[in-house]
Amino acid sequence: MNGRERVRRTIDRQPVDRAPIDLGSTAVTGIQATTYARLRQALGLPDEPVRIEEPFQLLAEVEEPVRQALGIDTIGLWGRDTIFGFPNESWKPWNLPDGTPALVSEHFRFTLDDKGDTLIFPKGDTSAKPSGRLPSDGYYFDAIIRQQPIDEDHLHPEDWADQFSVFTEEDLRDLETRSKRLHEDTEYSVVGGFGQAGVGDIAFVPGQNLIEPKGLRDPNVWYEYLALHPDYIKGIFQMWNENALKNLELYRQAVGDRIDVIFMGGTDFGGQQGPLVSPKMFRELWKPLYKQTNDWVHENTNWKTFWHSCGSVAKLLDDFVEMGVDILNPVQCSAVGMEAETLKERWGDRLVFWGGSVDTQATMPFGSPEEVRAQAEERLRVLGRDGGLVFCSIHNIQAKTPVENVLAFFEAAKGEPIVPSPSS
Amino acid sequence: MSETLEKLKTAVIEGQAVPAKEACEAALAEGIPPGTILMEALVPAMDDVGNRYECGEYFVPEMLISVRAMKEGLKLLKPLLIEADVKPAGKVIAGTVKGDLHDIGKNLVCMMLEGAGFEIVDLGCDVPVDKFVAAAKEGADLLALSALLSTTMPNIKATIEALGEAGLRDKVKVMIGGAPVNDNVAKEYGADGYAADASAAVALARRLAGVTA
Repeated sequence: MNGRERVRRTIDRQPVDRAPIDLGSTAVTGIQATTYARLRQALGLPDEPVRIEEPFQLLAEVEEPVRQALGIDTIGLWGRDTIFGFPNESWKPWNLPDGTPALVSEHFRFTLDDKGDTLIFPKGDTSAKPSGRLPSDGYYFDAIIRQQPIDEDHLHPEDWADQFSVFTEEDLRDLETRSKRLHEDTEYSVVGGFGQAGVGDIAFVPGQNLIEPKGLRDPNVWYEYLALHPDYIKGIFQMWNENALKNLELYRQAVGDRIDVIFMGGTDFGGQQGPLVSPKMFRELWKPLYKQTNDWVHENTNWKTFWHSCGSVAKLLDDFVEMGVDILNPVQCSAVGMEAETLKERWGDRLVFWGGSVDTQATMPFGSPEEVRAQAEERLRVLGRDGGLVFCSIHNIQAKTPVENVLAFFEAAKGEPIVPSPSS
Repeated sequence: MSETLEKLKTAVIEGQAVPAKEACEAALAEGIPPGTILMEALVPAMDDVGNRYECGEYFVPEMLISVRAMKEGLKLLKPLLIEADVKPAGKVIAGTVKGDLHDIGKNLVCMMLEGAGFEIVDLGCDVPVDKFVAAAKEGADLLALSALLSTTMPNIKATIEALGEAGLRDKVKVMIGGAPVNDNVAKEYGADGYAADASAAVALARRLAGVTA
């Protein structure tokens, strides 16, 4: 059984030889570059710089020998542009703050401040104000808030218009070419990294991709506006969703049936203890829009919709089902109300769980390999009962994760030891 | 309670900034002492907001707009409280630890503590250990440390250890929070307590500072 069959059958709740495994098909199922470099080393692969697929979280591009060694069943059709608004192309060397050699897009342009922090420029434009900061001893960028003065009595949703654009011909040809390559030259299940249906994703509020973001851009204030200025928020969401619907149609024309799964969006609705916003607000501001994009996909394609939301979202899962979510990620079992058994029992027949297989906040970085293995096996047993589980860590595998734990995790899923390549 | 204080309390609970400001101005014009306005309207209002959050009636947006309304009142009261020598419930030094730039949770905790009558010294985010220690040397009841990332969480421990090395550990209580943090981490790192959210942080700070609600 190949990866594509395994994923498709899992989604359709048909028997599989083992749960399919994902690493690196999306920006929420990946691995941080330093940890990846150590993994490559442990697998006996030649010591080469790590390509940075996603520069914000500094995620590695997972390569073929790693997929082979770990038994990965998926591959990502990543979007062309990064969150900083530049395309990943023409690689150049760059070292992470901990010295890990990497390759980044030639448009990855940055400066160092007096503390030694790395400040990255939107669209690679060094005349703009930097839009991301990587601490001098850090492992991830965070957005720099470039909030311009805003008149709360005169708010204009159209200030956000720069945030949205339809795919260009070049984007579409690129998607077409790459999707053909992934579909025809591999047996992996291809995950389309669309992401634009994630209306209201706080990660994009600061506008890291824009030279000069306008409108409300401060995440601290964003949550206030959700309650204080719902019409302003609705106006932004409307533009966001309309653009997503336009691009879904173009995306379909470019990639057709060459993807199995589409990453729709990653708006986080949960904190550790419960939802960040009330179910009532969720139903008013988000649910109708998410239903529209899910419906569009189901009416026009064979794709399954993959939605990411961190945290405790159990109180929203009935709504997720009603709005047509096929696949839930990252399935944060450590959050309140998200225990694996509860999720499987209540929603296991309606949602595919893509994640949930190990806790990356505690067990994976701080536990022993035995603890990692035990948790992974338990999740395979519970979430994977009667199918419906794509084995994957709860969000990206983080920096400073011991490589022994990474290996133990994938061994649990593969059901056999992972051995270094004979070429080592 | 006077009608004006009732109005102020309701405005804060409902997150109405302008009515909160007006009610606070009216209370002062009526000659109600600023300490009374704080303790009988703003603090109980924010306690009410905290309770509503705890029982799932309020969520982050509702809590934030109440904070905003509370701040309108507090802005008027602050200089008067200093003038009248009204003591805060305690002094809290807060910040996200070295390497961590994620401050939304920390900011919310600071605002809720302020609403509970604490004085806040917010050192911001990505705060080096020695900066926390230097601030603690100036005198504080509590140190509130936050980390969102598993990679930066160990810097909570480093900060607590540095407090010990500076001979300050007995003088200041340490409370911690953030996504990867929990009670076990608090025990392992030698913190005095962990709070799961901003409302729980108020209860914890009161307990650690020996303040009754």
